[in-house]
Amino acid sequence: MALNLLEQQALVELDLPQTRPFRLGEHLSAVRLSSVVFLLGLWEIFGRHVNPLFLSYPSAIGRAFLQVVVTQEFQRSALSSLQVFAIGLIAALALGIAVGLLMGRYRLAEYLLDPYVYALDATPRVALIPILLLWFGLGATSKIVIVFLSGLFPVLMNTFSGVRTVSAQLVEVGRAYGAGERKLFTKVILPAALPFIMAGIRLAVGRALIGIITAEMFTAVTGMGALLVRYSSALATDKFFVPVILLALLGVALSSIVEKLQKKLAPWKETERAL
Amino acid sequence: MALPSNEEMIEMLGLRRERRWSIYDHPNLIRLASVTVFMLLWEYFGRKTDPILFTYPSAVAEAFVKLVASGELIQQLAVSLSALAVGFLVSLVLGVALGLALGMSRVTEAFFDPLINALYATPQVALTPLLMMWLGLGFSVKVSVVFLFAFFPILINTASGARNVSAAMVEVARAYLAPPRQILFKVICPAALPFIMAGVRIAVGRALVGMIVAELFTAITGLGAMLSLYGNIFETAKMFVVIVVLAFLGIVLIRATQWLERRLATWKETERAVG
Repeated sequence: MALNLLEQQALVELDLPQTRPFRLGEHLSAVRLSSVVFLLGLWEIFGRHVNPLFLSYPSAIGRAFLQVVVTQEFQRSALSSLQVFAIGLIAALALGIAVGLLMGRYRLAEYLLDPYVYALDATPRVALIPILLLWFGLGATSKIVIVFLSGLFPVLMNTFSGVRTVSAQLVEVGRAYGAGERKLFTKVILPAALPFIMAGIRLAVGRALIGIITAEMFTAVTGMGALLVRYSSALATDKFFVPVILLALLGVALSSIVEKLQKKLAPWKETERAL
Repeated sequence: MALPSNEEMIEMLGLRRERRWSIYDHPNLIRLASVTVFMLLWEYFGRKTDPILFTYPSAVAEAFVKLVASGELIQQLAVSLSALAVGFLVSLVLGVALGLALGMSRVTEAFFDPLINALYATPQVALTPLLMMWLGLGFSVKVSVVFLFAFFPILINTASGARNVSAAMVEVARAYLAPPRQILFKVICPAALPFIMAGVRIAVGRALVGMIVAELFTAITGLGAMLSLYGNIFETAKMFVVIVVLAFLGIVLIRATQWLERRLATWKETERAVG
């Protein structure tokens, strides 16, 4: 900003401070960094004084991390968890989207199915774990079913409400131009409902993760959840935190992937809303 | 001559016709038929299966009457509900108080941000074994698991509600020389209430899941323990009773929060329309 001579002179005479005073509010990332350092430091100091059977501390967890990650037992558990998770989630997405589309588009399907969908959606899925274990055993099948049920309803409900909010005008214009039912689904309804579906998928990923951990903790045979139970009953607190941290990272990674996908696949969400 | 009214015009032109009876005008009829057929099929096929693995509606109803008559169901329900209520109230009070503190100061928020995000990203189920190690198998572990599940949605929503209070409102209050206390209770709290209630709605569902998870693993008292125990002795019908009660509880809790949300935060819609 160019100032004329008079203004510059006035500024000099007023002797205003040239630099802005330091304000903590302008250095938020520094605050964040110092918070991480401070809390980890506090944990380290405090944790060293506590019986290691009850609480570990960051450096011990770091050491345990390096020890645990290379073991075969851990790699096998992680792999089996991921496999079960992937199969169950993919099945949930496929069925959830299909049934959601049907229920959103056809009223007969809606009225026939919605009593069950609402009832099952309201049932806390964890409550079904004991009975699913009874039916499907302690192996991979029951875990897949639990992941499937955990992920199914968020996708289904979101797809359903997404299809319901597709504007009737869009469908009518499509029909006026001679689009058949199939074209309507693939070219009008599905794209319009996509932002909702993606939001449902994001919810489903988180729920499915909780589902698989609970199921594995309850069966305590294989997978990351079983490791959690094993380490905690062996009072190996430092090792216990390794799967916890990895699961947290997995959750964050998955939800950010879905978020990126959402932006890529359904970039019209914002403009749609603005209109 | 007076012009005929619209009604008379319709009569004269013979436009009024009986609407053809359509099944779509009676969705509850379809629902009823669907549920009846399902229940009959379940009853018919359920009687043919091994009662250890599967059950049928009349057996579930019988088990329900038995469990209520013996007082077991009511007693365990009371145990579960008290853990749920205490844990939820603690998370509500702490979540709202801390959320307001975080939402009003950017520095405080930046300081606690990493900790909160890390804890929120961790699947809370994974921490249950650790809590059981620390707190044993009693009431306190259930309360703390419920707290852990319900706290973060309330905290995060309250903070974002307090952060989104329009600066103009706060400034008007300040211009009228309102003391900070009044600004907090008369401006920020009411403006953040819709956000808080949205957090409460999420938290209620999660608190229920937390309660069940804690009871499944401790397996001593409460509805979750009943599930776990009856699963171990293959009393499928009694397991179904507990599942149905939990589903019912889920529906009641969600409905109650929705009702509360409508009652308490009526200005949400107008606010949005104005802003």
